[in-house]
Amino acid sequence: MSNEQSSIAFPSTEELSGPLLRVKDLRTTFSTPRGSLTAVDGVSFELGRGETLGIVGESGSGKTVLARSVMGLLPRSNTTQTGSILFEETEIVGAQEATLREIWGAKIAMVFQDPMTSLNPVVRIQRQITESLRLHTSMDRAEAKATAISLLSQVGIPSPAERVRAYPFQLSGGMRQRVTIAIALACSPRLLLADEPTTGLDVTVQAQILDLLSSLQSARQMAVILVTHDLGVVATRTDRIAVMYAGHIVEMASTKRLFASMAMPYTQALLRSTPRISQPSHTRLIAIDGRPPDLINPPSGCAFAPRCTYATDQCRSERPPLRTAAEDPTHLFACWNPLQTGNAGSITTAKGEN
Amino acid sequence: MSSTTDAVSSAATESSVGVSRAPKKRMRKALGTIFWISICWIGVVFLLAIVASWIGLDDPNNGDFSLINSSPSWSHPFGTDDLGRDILSRVIYGARVSLIVGFGAMGLGMSIGGTLGMIAAYRRGAVDTLVSAASYVMLAFPALVAVIAIVAFWGHDIWKITIIVGVASTPLVYRVIRAATLSYATREFVTAAKAQGATDTRILSRELLPNVLPTIISYFLIGVATVIILEGALAFLGLSVPAPTASWGNMINESRTYLSDNPWLALFPSMAMFLFLIALNLVGDALRQSFDAQESKL
Amino acid sequence: MAKFLLKRLLALMGILLLVSLGIFMLVHLLPGDPTTTILGPNNTAHNRAVLMQQLGLNKPIWSQYFLWLGNIFHGNLGQSFITHQTVTNTLANAFPIDLELIVISQVVALSVSIPLAIASAKKPNGLLDRVSTTTSFALLALPPFIIIVFAVLIFSIHFHVFPGPGSYVPFSQDPISNLHTMILPSLVLAIGSVVIYFRLLRGDLITTLQEEFIVMARSKGLSNRYIMWRHALRPSSLSLLAAAGLNIGGLVAGAFVVEFLLAIPGLGYALVNSIQQVDYLAVQGVTLFVAVVVVVLNFIIDFLFTIVDPRIARE
Repeated sequence: MSNEQSSIAFPSTEELSGPLLRVKDLRTTFSTPRGSLTAVDGVSFELGRGETLGIVGESGSGKTVLARSVMGLLPRSNTTQTGSILFEETEIVGAQEATLREIWGAKIAMVFQDPMTSLNPVVRIQRQITESLRLHTSMDRAEAKATAISLLSQVGIPSPAERVRAYPFQLSGGMRQRVTIAIALACSPRLLLADEPTTGLDVTVQAQILDLLSSLQSARQMAVILVTHDLGVVATRTDRIAVMYAGHIVEMASTKRLFASMAMPYTQALLRSTPRISQPSHTRLIAIDGRPPDLINPPSGCAFAPRCTYATDQCRSERPPLRTAAEDPTHLFACWNPLQTGNAGSITTAKGEN
Repeated sequence: MSSTTDAVSSAATESSVGVSRAPKKRMRKALGTIFWISICWIGVVFLLAIVASWIGLDDPNNGDFSLINSSPSWSHPFGTDDLGRDILSRVIYGARVSLIVGFGAMGLGMSIGGTLGMIAAYRRGAVDTLVSAASYVMLAFPALVAVIAIVAFWGHDIWKITIIVGVASTPLVYRVIRAATLSYATREFVTAAKAQGATDTRILSRELLPNVLPTIISYFLIGVATVIILEGALAFLGLSVPAPTASWGNMINESRTYLSDNPWLALFPSMAMFLFLIALNLVGDALRQSFDAQESKL
Repeated sequence: MAKFLLKRLLALMGILLLVSLGIFMLVHLLPGDPTTTILGPNNTAHNRAVLMQQLGLNKPIWSQYFLWLGNIFHGNLGQSFITHQTVTNTLANAFPIDLELIVISQVVALSVSIPLAIASAKKPNGLLDRVSTTTSFALLALPPFIIIVFAVLIFSIHFHVFPGPGSYVPFSQDPISNLHTMILPSLVLAIGSVVIYFRLLRGDLITTLQEEFIVMARSKGLSNRYIMWRHALRPSSLSLLAAAGLNIGGLVAGAFVVEFLLAIPGLGYALVNSIQQVDYLAVQGVTLFVAVVVVVLNFIIDFLFTIVDPRIARE
């Protein structure tokens, strides 16, 4: 998942067909007993084939909902989505569930946060892997089983031929997460959504799982959206990073650029609360004062203003639009008082840029 | 995770809860009306059973032989039975049996089983092991068969039935109350009370009892309903209160003989029992739901 | 798993031994003198003493218990003083009838309650769910003896769809009319079971469907039907299984209400008859048999638990 991509990674025919995923002005709203809650509010981004995007934010910033929205996986009964999510040629927003089911597991797959709860406790690992193979490919039972065993060995599970018969409770936490990765990879998806894939794991196991994801990704030329609260996790393993706060993308840039000259005080606060990249990453975010805002009644100005040390009256009354940095048009941020004021260039909205 | 994310992610992941939460709230409000109607109904049945002798009802046990198996009329709103007895009067007097046996037996079961359950869950150790083992053995006993045998051999007046059924209910009551108490006995407020030197009796009555009370009440009501059904089953074997005393079970049992000629005989006591049972279940259920809701808010 | 089941089996055997002692004590400590019942109230004291001797009732109660227990292991539960039938014989005649009632009623109950619970849990608070939940709540307040009275009134007396009381024919004699007679009582028993099973399974399914592994299954592109049957049903069926065990155990002798009304000579019928005749060996024997059946049933349920949820046998 480094910035350089080998030439094999992008077959020319595919490159011509444009980005893998195009999200435009996505808005996801839940109806709750207290009122409607906008968890993702006007998010736009693109993702190329084989590219890795990190989505970073605190708990409650809407990153998990964004990942599930991209897949169209949210329950329809209490969710409203507007905007557009174009995956290859398919529009996800408003699609029939039957259409989505052809993509789910086959072209887009997801690795969930907690392997304790995301694996069915009473179903053998074998069936949990083979059921999507049998559904999306023409493999027969024996072929699917052989594939399941080979997938388990690819994700680094020792003696996979025996482990395939095991139930999830017979494996350790790290092994379980490897199994969920094997399940997600079963049909060689074009896009993998990894939602805090290491949060529930020991620190030592975390790095192993992330390295495993990186190596599998480059071997399979698969695009990855890595959702995490930990900037340390995404620093070395992504091409681009989007920082989310209160349902908005508040800063987005290439990984290199973001760490070199971040514009948002929020990104800075996130980074400061993250241990150094050279150290093993910790799971817990230490301290940004205050709490994320109530998304049912969001504040009128910049959502981060109440917690921001640089906040001015303008920040509290007027919401900053997403604009591009002067010296790097791919660097977007939404702030009235960016950290390096000189860098803040012409104001263009993200929508206009597309 | 912070509380906000929990709200977001739970809204995001719980498909059916998302749907059901709002209607559930509506249902709880609706249950409010139904709940109070049920309470009123239970109250009316109690009241009628108490004042039955003073409200000018016909004698429930001595009938008018000139008017046998009659259909409902002005003088006998529910009709009369095969001995010319007024069915309305018998249904009202019959409530006494269901109420005494139902509430009496569960009262007994609760005071033995409930007390033991709370003590066992609080003290643990040898007491718990011993009583729990005994409860397992009693539960393996075919309780219904035992109740029938004891009632048949010992005699079936109303107090004996109450005592036998009450004792038979203790192991089940014990297990339910023990489990409910256990979930509180290890919490901080109990430890804190102990650290402040509160006596065991005080902890049991002031700290644990208020928390277990919701379970006790709702389980008590469901238990009363079950015992009333049991009285009916005993009546079917001729083992409920001896004739000519009216009980709902006895009346349904007696109606079998004249079923084809006079279905009213079966209808009115069945309705009385059905409505009373459903009121008990509704109240028990509504209480449990609102306690659950309170619990989940904590 | 074998170790887990062996442990359970040993515990159950211990419980069974205690239960047998309990039953023996119960029957012997209760009032009622079998010699009076057999010889009539006006016989001489000498004759009674002779009979006591013959029946072994003058021995100490402990040795009577061990004698009884010893005989049980030889398949001998004693002989009734009244009908002169061996207790084993009574059981052999009566139990198959209960078995038939239980099998028919449980097959019906499960094949109604499981699809109904699934359909209801798919859309909690949908029309079907509200109708079936409300109906089941009302049926909860309708005990079998009320249902059977009205079922007989409507289906036997009024419409003559099913034969009325007293028309029981053994299966070996005439299977068709036997089945015809057994349908009504089985259906009445099934109603009670459907209510219990439906309510439990519906609740557990709704809880399971909120689990993360269901979202994971959806993310694989599996169909809702597949997810329901292959992912949600199994982890949701533990309470159903436990309730089925208790319920079937209760029906072994608890079907007496329908047996009584329709004069079907099952176990409950036999038990009540022997109680009324103070036939204490028969009471003892039938009660012990019921206890054994309940314990065996518990063991089967424990075994099924380990199949449905392999985590249970872990310790």
